[in-house]
Amino acid sequence: MGIKDRLIEDVGLREGVKRLTEDKIEQVVQTVLKGETGARLAAYSEICMRCGLCSEACHFYLSHDGDPSYSPVGKVQQTMAVLLKKKGRVSPDFIYGMAQIAYTECNLCRRCVHFCPVGIDTGYIMSTVRRICHKLGVTPQYIQDTAHSHSATFNQMWVKEDEWTDSLQWQEDEAREEFPGLRIPLDKEGADIYYSVIAPEPKFRTQLIYQAAAIMNAAGADWTMPSEPGWDNSDMCMFTGDFEMMGRLKRKHFESAQKLKVKRIVMGECGHAFRSVYDMGNRWVAWKMYPVPVIHSIEFFWELMKQGKIKLAKKYPGPVTVHDPCNVVRGRGHHEKLRELVRFLVDGPIIETASNREHNICCTAGGGVINCGPPFKNVRLDGSKAKAEELRATGVKTIVAPCHNCHGGLEDTVHRYKLDMHIKFLGDIIYECMEKPS
Amino acid sequence: MHEIYNLVTGPLAWLAWGIFIVGSIYRLAIMYILAKKKDAPSLAYMSWGFSLRSIINWLIPFNALGWRRNPLMTVATFAFHICLVVAPIFLLAHVALWDQFFGITYPVLDEKVTDIMTMIVVAACLIFAARRIFQKEVRYVSGFQDWLILVIAVLPFATGLLAYYQLGNYQVMIVLHILSGEIMLAAIPFTRLSHMLFSVFTRSYMGSEFGGVRRVKDW
Amino acid sequence: MKKIALVALLALSLLLPAFLAMAQDDLKEIKSEAFGKLQRPAVAFDHNAHNEKAQIEDCLVCHHSGENGVQDKTTGSEGTPCSECHKVKPTDKKATSLMRAYHKQCIACHTEKKKGPLACGECHVRKK
Repeated sequence: MGIKDRLIEDVGLREGVKRLTEDKIEQVVQTVLKGETGARLAAYSEICMRCGLCSEACHFYLSHDGDPSYSPVGKVQQTMAVLLKKKGRVSPDFIYGMAQIAYTECNLCRRCVHFCPVGIDTGYIMSTVRRICHKLGVTPQYIQDTAHSHSATFNQMWVKEDEWTDSLQWQEDEAREEFPGLRIPLDKEGADIYYSVIAPEPKFRTQLIYQAAAIMNAAGADWTMPSEPGWDNSDMCMFTGDFEMMGRLKRKHFESAQKLKVKRIVMGECGHAFRSVYDMGNRWVAWKMYPVPVIHSIEFFWELMKQGKIKLAKKYPGPVTVHDPCNVVRGRGHHEKLRELVRFLVDGPIIETASNREHNICCTAGGGVINCGPPFKNVRLDGSKAKAEELRATGVKTIVAPCHNCHGGLEDTVHRYKLDMHIKFLGDIIYECMEKPS
Repeated sequence: MHEIYNLVTGPLAWLAWGIFIVGSIYRLAIMYILAKKKDAPSLAYMSWGFSLRSIINWLIPFNALGWRRNPLMTVATFAFHICLVVAPIFLLAHVALWDQFFGITYPVLDEKVTDIMTMIVVAACLIFAARRIFQKEVRYVSGFQDWLILVIAVLPFATGLLAYYQLGNYQVMIVLHILSGEIMLAAIPFTRLSHMLFSVFTRSYMGSEFGGVRRVKDW
Repeated sequence: MKKIALVALLALSLLLPAFLAMAQDDLKEIKSEAFGKLQRPAVAFDHNAHNEKAQIEDCLVCHHSGENGVQDKTTGSEGTPCSECHKVKPTDKKATSLMRAYHKQCIACHTEKKKGPLACGECHVRKK
C-alpha cells in the first residue's frame, strides 16, 4: 500500500531523478522550506491530528475503494511529512514517488478543506511539494513541455506569434459567412472587454474562439483581443511549481491588458487560469488581487443574460446536470450564477449530482493532472470512478462544464465508464441556441 | 506520602502551569513572528468576519460536510472536547483545591455530572484508539506522536475516575492523577496538543481565504 | 411548678456545654447539617483517638474563636458548631466558608506536622 507499489514510468521524472543526489535534494528542500514556507506549513504539519476525516473528501480515495494511501493525509504522509521529518535528506527514488503523488494523484481541488476541522489546506501542502519537485527538476514530461512553452513563448502550446493572429483571422473569416460584419478586433485601445483564452483554443479548439466571437458580436460588445504575447491566460507553471515563471506570465497578461487600456478582462471557460489570477499568480507577484478587473465567462454570460443581450431562438433540450469546476466554484463561488444561466438556457430541470456546488467532486483532470499526459491517463481515469458514479446516477445525457480541463477530463471519464453523456461548454449552448441571421 | 503529595501539588504544579502558560505564549509569539516574516501573502487575507464565520460554523455539530460524513467521529470529538475542558474546570474537587490553596471559589457542577463527563472523555479516547487500530485510513497515518497524545489525554481522566471511586491504592492513584494532569498541561505547547493553541488561527485563515478570496463557505 | 421548670431549664442551659463536651467523646465523623445534601462522604473522625494520637490536649488548637475574619486563638469555642460562624455561603467576602474552614483546619495542621491525610479521598473515604 503506497506509491512504491504503483510507480509509473515517465521520462521527465526518470531523467530528473537520475541527476539527483541526497546532498542536492537536502539542499533544495531546505531552500524551499526555509525560504518560501513559514508559519502556515509549520502549523499544518504540527496540528494535523491524523484523524483521517479528510479521506472521504478525496475522489482518488473514494475511487480506490478506500485505499488509505490515496487519502489527502495519506498523500501528505508519503511526501511532505517525510521531508519534514528527515529534514530533506531523502533518496532520489523517494523523490520519484513524491512527484508522482503530487502531480498525478492530487488535483489541488481542495474538497478536503470541507472535511478538516482544524482548517488544514492540503492543496497548499501539495503545491509546496510540487514546488520542491520543480526546483529538483523532477516533473512529468508532458506538463513540463507546456511549462517550457510558457517560458519560451508566453503561451502553453508553442503557438507562434503569426500563428496566433492567423488563427484569429481565420476564425473571423469563417464566422463572417454566418454573421456578416462580425469582427475579432485586435489591439483595440480602450475597449470595454479584453477577451483572453488559453493556448489550446487557437491550437485545437478554434471553434471556441468562433463561438466567443459570435456571442460578442450578437451582444454588441466593445471587445478586443491582443495580437502580442500575453493573450494566453493559462498557467501550467503554477501547476509544475515554476512560480518564477507563473509570476512572469501574470505580469505579461496584465501588462498586455493595461497596454490596451481596457476596462476589464473576460476569461474564456477556463478554470485554472482563473485560479492563477485571483489565488496563486497574484500572490507570487505580491498583488492582493488582480490589477485589472477579471471576470470569468460564467459571470460574463450571466451579465449578458441579465441585461437581455443574449436572445435565444430556442432553448437547449434538458434535463442536464451541472459540473462545478473547482477553480471557479470552490475557488470563486460562481455556482449560483452558473445555475441561473443554465436555467435560462436549458429547457428542463438541472439534475444535480450528489455532491454539488462548493462540495463538488473534482473531474480528476484539474490541477495539471490531465496535462501530465498519456503515461498517467489510466491512473487519472481510475481516480474518476467516484465522479462517474455520481454522473451516472443523474440519468441525464448532458453535462454542462464551464472549464476546459474538466471538459477534457470528463470526456475521458464518460468514455471509460460508458456513461453515454456528452459535455457542453456554456458557449456551446449559447451559440447553438442564440438567434442567428438567417 | 507527604513529601510526594507536596511535591506534585507544590513545585511540580507550578512548573506544569508555568511550562503551559509561558510555553504557550512563547510558541504563539514565535509562530506570529514567523507568519509576519514568511506568510505575508496569506496574512493579507485575514478577516475577522470570515474567521468568526468559519469558527462558528465548524462549532455546530453536523454542519460541516466533514462532520456529516463522519457521524460517529462528530459525536465523539464534540463530546470529548467539551467534557475535556468543562469537567476539570468545574469539578468540585478541583474547585475545593482552588479554594483551599488560593481562596478562589466559583460555581461547580454536580459530581454526578462531572463523573459522567469524565467517563465520556475516557470513552471517546477509546473510540479514537479504536479508529487508530481498526480504521485503515486512520491506521495508515497514525504514528508515535498520535498515540502519545492520546495516552497523555486519557491518563488524567482515567486516573481521576479511579481516584474518585477510590479503586486501587488511593494514594498512588491520586498522585498519578495529579502527575498525569501536569504532564498534559506541560505537553500542550510542545506536542500535537498544540492544536489547542494554533487551530483557531488555521481555521481563521481557511475561513478568511474561502470567504474573502473564494467567496464560498469552507464547511 | 413553674418555678421548678424554670430552675431545671436554667440548670440545663448551664450544663449544656458540658453535655456537648461529653458528646465529643462519641464523635465518629464530621458531618455538619449546614451542608444539607453532601457531595462527598462525611469525614470519619474519632475525636479522642485523633487527639490521643496527635497528642493534642489543648482544645484551642482546633476550637478557636474570632470576629470579622480575624482568628482568636485565646478564647475557646468548644460546643459551638463551626457553622455558627463559618457559613456555607458567607455573605462577607473576607469570611471563610465552612468548607474552606474544615479543609484549612485539618490539612494545614497535617501539612505542618507532616502527618495525617492530605488528599481528598484520604479523608472523604467511600464506604465500600
